Amino acid sequence: MATPVLERTAARPAVRVEGIGPFEAARRRMIGPFLLPALLVYALVMIVPSVFTVWISFNDWAGAGPMEWAGLGNYTEMIADPVFGQSFVNTMKILFGVGGAVFLISFVLTMLLQDMVGRKFVRAVVFFPSLVPGLVIAILWGFMLDPDGLANSVLEALGVAEPPLWLAPENMFTTVMAGMTWLAAGTYTVIFMAAADRIPRAFYEAAELDGASAVRRFWHITMPLMWDVIGVCAVLWAIGALKTFEFVLVFAGATGSLPPTGLWTFSVYAYAGAFPSDGVPRYGIASAAAVLTMVLTVVLTLLVRRVMGRRERTDY
Amino acid sequence: MTTRTVRRSRGPLFLLAMPLAWSLAVFDLFVVGWMALSSLKTTREVVHDPWGLPSELQWGNYGEAWTSAAFGDGVLNSLLLVTGSGLGTILLAAPAAYVLSRFRWRLSGPVTVFFAMGLGIPGPAIMIPIYLGLDRMGLIDSLAGLLIVYIATNLPFSVFFLTAFFASLPRELEEAAALDGSSPYHTYWRVMLPLTRSGLIALFILQAIGDWGETFFALSFLREQKTISLTLLNFIQTMQYTGARWSVLFAGICIVVIPLLLLYLWMSSRLIEGIAAGYGK
Repeated sequence: MATPVLERTAARPAVRVEGIGPFEAARRRMIGPFLLPALLVYALVMIVPSVFTVWISFNDWAGAGPMEWAGLGNYTEMIADPVFGQSFVNTMKILFGVGGAVFLISFVLTMLLQDMVGRKFVRAVVFFPSLVPGLVIAILWGFMLDPDGLANSVLEALGVAEPPLWLAPENMFTTVMAGMTWLAAGTYTVIFMAAADRIPRAFYEAAELDGASAVRRFWHITMPLMWDVIGVCAVLWAIGALKTFEFVLVFAGATGSLPPTGLWTFSVYAYAGAFPSDGVPRYGIASAAAVLTMVLTVVLTLLVRRVMGRRERTDY
Repeated sequence: MTTRTVRRSRGPLFLLAMPLAWSLAVFDLFVVGWMALSSLKTTREVVHDPWGLPSELQWGNYGEAWTSAAFGDGVLNSLLLVTGSGLGTILLAAPAAYVLSRFRWRLSGPVTVFFAMGLGIPGPAIMIPIYLGLDRMGLIDSLAGLLIVYIATNLPFSVFFLTAFFASLPRELEEAAALDGSSPYHTYWRVMLPLTRSGLIALFILQAIGDWGETFFALSFLREQKTISLTLLNFIQTMQYTGARWSVLFAGICIVVIPLLLLYLWMSSRLIEGIAAGYGK
């Protein structure tokens, strides 16, 4: 076993010289029993089915009866479909638009809550929307933004003559995006704060003695030391955004039918192929849309990892 | 014991952004309060006087939601699923994440990526084959079948999440334990795992949140059995025929949301405690 021998330098504290002594040998024997159970369950329930789905995407299949080989037919049909184009635009809006807003809000909140009086309280409260199932958020959001609902009654009291029609078709998707931002900002704030709390106070105390402002402390201490966590969150967001499903579906179609096509995302498009409100299910098209989502996810993940860089971990 | 120093250097940007944190918190609190209040009104009051206080507290809404709207069954089923999948996921994911993040061996990188790939697999991409598989095993409309799906779909995130936690622990701890004669298993159980307790708690909470309101797989794989999200969905659909019963709906929503709020409020202090205990000076 050739372990690359690397110098123990100050610049790369995470990498150490390691001989294969009895200690390391015992550690290596742990790998099997520790790793295999998780690997097995994961492979059987997630990997095998997705490979099967890839295969279905090259066939025409209605669930019952034989499959018929279709080659790339499902893919070309899907790309030519204007509804799919709309789904693509919507998914990208969520990915970048909502994502940008969520990360900005989370950073600001993390910075503020590090120093604020009542931080524990505010932290506990901003996480509330993340606790609530999307289904419930959808019901509350819809009820509040109803033309005669809470939001507009406030605006009218403030003298707004014509409050916006939040749930009108042309505004609907923006309303959905606002709801998603509200939902996600708390989650990332709590994750960032957990990371920021692990940073030794001494750094901040030293920076404060040097007269660094809160923004500078955040920029020069908090951000670099939780870079790992930010990278993880960026990947998680990209992935979550691409499979946005429940929120949009539930939001517009609380009665069980599909939302108007103006709200569709990749996943809704795939779902609609498998469970059309009328007609025969088209598992081939549904699978093709799901496969495309997976491919985009892989591409984005690699991209994020490249952009964030593989910084050395900092031990402190 | 950590003593927090009071900070004084606050720039103009800081003061400008401060109201943002508070207004968001106030808004969230308002929504929770409004939701709870609406659950104690009559339907007429909910619709026509959304800002008003209930003239009389309608505790009966909860009884109606629990029994006639069947939220009771949904809560019990979801409770079973959340507990089972939370514990099952951690039992499988923690050892795997430990091995992947702390051991340097040829395949640790590829296997980590292999797990991370699962994050990008959306529900619809595995739904059809899993349905066929569960059907063959007679596990359609069974909580056990859904539990397996939940545990498996939780694994990628859990491994990813715990890998970051394990990786952030100082390596000196393992070396010190080894020098003290601790076996690798012992080091894992007695040194490394306790230090990630805050991570495990955070993970359990995040899993509970996700699985508690999970709709897509529950809708696909259950028929007669109901989780809370299915109960809620079912109730909204029947409102089309029975007329709007907003008060009962809000009581149902509170039954769904309040356990999570309590779990979170209880656990969040333990989460901070865990970090303080692990890293206190």
